[in-house]
Amino acid sequence: MKKAISLALALTLAVSFAACGGGGGGGNSQGGGGSESDVIKIGVFEPLTGGNAGGGELEVRGIELAHEKYGEVLGKKIELVKADNKSDAVEASVAASRLVESEKVDIVIGSWGSTLSNAGGPIFKENKIVCMGASCTNPNVTNSNEYYYRVCFIDPFQGTVLANYAFNDLGAKNVAIIFESSNDYAVGLKNFFEEAFKELGGTISSTSTYQLDDTDFSSQLQAALANNPDCIFAPGNFTEAALMMQQARQTGSDIQFLGGDTFEVPELITIGGDAVEGCAITSFFDPAAPINDTTTEFIEAYRAKYNEEPAAFAALGYDAYVTVYKAIEAAGSVDSDAIRDALSTIVVPGATGNIRFNDKGDAIINLAVLKVVKDGKFEYLSTVTID
Amino acid sequence: MKDLSKNASRILTAVALAGFAVFLWLAYKGIALGPYEARIVRLSGIYAIAALSMNLINGFTGQFSLGQAGFMALGAYTTSLLVIPPEAKESLYWVEPINPFVRNLQAPFLVALIAGGLMASFFAFFIGFPVLRLKGDYLAIATLGFSEIIRIFITNLIPITNGPVGLKNIPSTANILWTSLSCAAIVVLLLRLMKTSYGRTFKAIRDDEVAAEAMGISLFKHKLMSFLLSAFIAGISGGLLASVVGAITPAYFRFTLAYEILLIVVLGGQGSITGSVVGAIILSVSKEWLRFLDSGFNLLFFRVPEIAGLRMLVFSLLLMAIILFYRRGLFGSREFSWNSIYRPIAFLINKIRKPKKEAGDDSA
Repeated sequence: MKKAISLALALTLAVSFAACGGGGGGGNSQGGGGSESDVIKIGVFEPLTGGNAGGGELEVRGIELAHEKYGEVLGKKIELVKADNKSDAVEASVAASRLVESEKVDIVIGSWGSTLSNAGGPIFKENKIVCMGASCTNPNVTNSNEYYYRVCFIDPFQGTVLANYAFNDLGAKNVAIIFESSNDYAVGLKNFFEEAFKELGGTISSTSTYQLDDTDFSSQLQAALANNPDCIFAPGNFTEAALMMQQARQTGSDIQFLGGDTFEVPELITIGGDAVEGCAITSFFDPAAPINDTTTEFIEAYRAKYNEEPAAFAALGYDAYVTVYKAIEAAGSVDSDAIRDALSTIVVPGATGNIRFNDKGDAIINLAVLKVVKDGKFEYLSTVTID
Repeated sequence: MKDLSKNASRILTAVALAGFAVFLWLAYKGIALGPYEARIVRLSGIYAIAALSMNLINGFTGQFSLGQAGFMALGAYTTSLLVIPPEAKESLYWVEPINPFVRNLQAPFLVALIAGGLMASFFAFFIGFPVLRLKGDYLAIATLGFSEIIRIFITNLIPITNGPVGLKNIPSTANILWTSLSCAAIVVLLLRLMKTSYGRTFKAIRDDEVAAEAMGISLFKHKLMSFLLSAFIAGISGGLLASVVGAITPAYFRFTLAYEILLIVVLGGQGSITGSVVGAIILSVSKEWLRFLDSGFNLLFFRVPEIAGLRMLVFSLLLMAIILFYRRGLFGSREFSWNSIYRPIAFLINKIRKPKKEAGDDSA
């Protein structure tokens, strides 16, 4: 019996070696035959496994959709090279290194999650490879890295949009904040919201924190509700937010909740149920309100390919690819400096709006979408423009 | 069948070390390895250091501690804050302004690295005092809890650590020489230590606490000593890790990191220094080497489609296979010796030469 097991194991190992030889050989011959002259390689630097895999998967879908449509540039085929960064900073640095130094990609797209982007950043910078972030909203991603760009709005803008909505549309003068202090995104958004809301003349009545994976929010809610705020702003992860709203309803309060773009996942509604009804959130994009022709094009293509409604992250992945594509086209080469020059001047009509870049590499977007949970669905509320 | 003589073993070791030194120099000059391969070697060295630190307290002293992630975080943050230039630091702190004292702290990399180790030891001292009186599972739970407390402190001390946003722009000083030589230095340190009376005391405590105490060994003092040294080494590995990756956040130092290091220790063998080094190399190299599985490949005659995460599945199967066949890890509690390579080869040669006599030898 033991012999049989070891035989089976040896066989498996042998097969895996053989497979490796085949796979590696195939890869090499592709690289060798194609060389750099007739293929342009775009690296896809995304978490495909681990905690952030859900977000990474959506972005990859958008990227693949765009790749199908724009498969060729400057007379050369575009090849997507994926590297899974496993939602882990160390793995991300290795994956980035693999893309740039081993696969020799010309340009990179990604990553979902600012932490992962930050881990890849120094490698892209060192090798002078342009990286186009899709949804990494942390201001530090493009900080002192002239090769990192991103197509999404960043947290200061999102905070301002939410503050304006609360103050002007909801008529809130007094807001309580409960945020996830272990999350860079939530901390940033809370800060920018607070700043913008105070500037408008509102007051923050109380601020309390929670940690990822917390399940009991009664003390935070008690502290927040004690001051009779007009609404509660709760930036953070969706699971905790859904539980928090449920617990707020259990105390008999029907207070309005506000959140950021991380809330826009089906889980918020499946976990929260009726309690999340009326919760307002910001988003990059909504299929119900196409911003331009590219949006319509994207929505139709996405529905046809995946047979479901496109999410905002998929739209951002799509935009990141299209922007990179247009930049290579405008630059007339894959030289990083030429691409950077092109990126500083072009305006790309993307699915989430017209994309152009400031000198930091952040997209200048003055447009966000507000949505509200209604009848168990995210319903389009309005498109907000801020100058 | 004879074993290798001591001199032959020594010569082989010297040749291997010289070969390693030449390889290291070539790798440093960028001749032997590309930057991608060099990065994997650098990470192997760092994981080896982290595993050694855990092996010291778990494998040699027999105290089941899971606090390594917290100590690595302390080392990583201390080192990073000392080496990031003040202007770069200031530009990162957009949530709350940086504490001016922390802003102006600066030190060369080596000093920063040691400071990171000392910082980890310093905290280990306060943790160790109450906690090392516990045993077995209780100790594991308490140290795990402390490591989480450290992480939550780092998350919330925003003016000092930049909180959940984390640090970036950490200079990548830790090249392949830094990581490999630090690892080599720690291996030598531990190999020497295990031959001193302290090393023997640690092992005595591991084997039987009651007997050790009856022999007049102060259990608490030696456990604390081992714990502090272990934390120091973990702090060094954290500092090197920060420099290689270039960006850190508190979320990276969750307790899952401690499990990953524990995996290396168990794979290599609890109580084997060379085992931890080999385990770390196997772990980091095979994870990357299996990457071809993710992108679709030819399995004999079939084309396997692209499946994200397939490599981690195969990776865990390989680990299970190793643990099934080597219950006590690859090296058990022994160290690597040339005889462990020589014996099976000699055995095979013997068997081929005189198959019948061999069978007689075997039964004797």
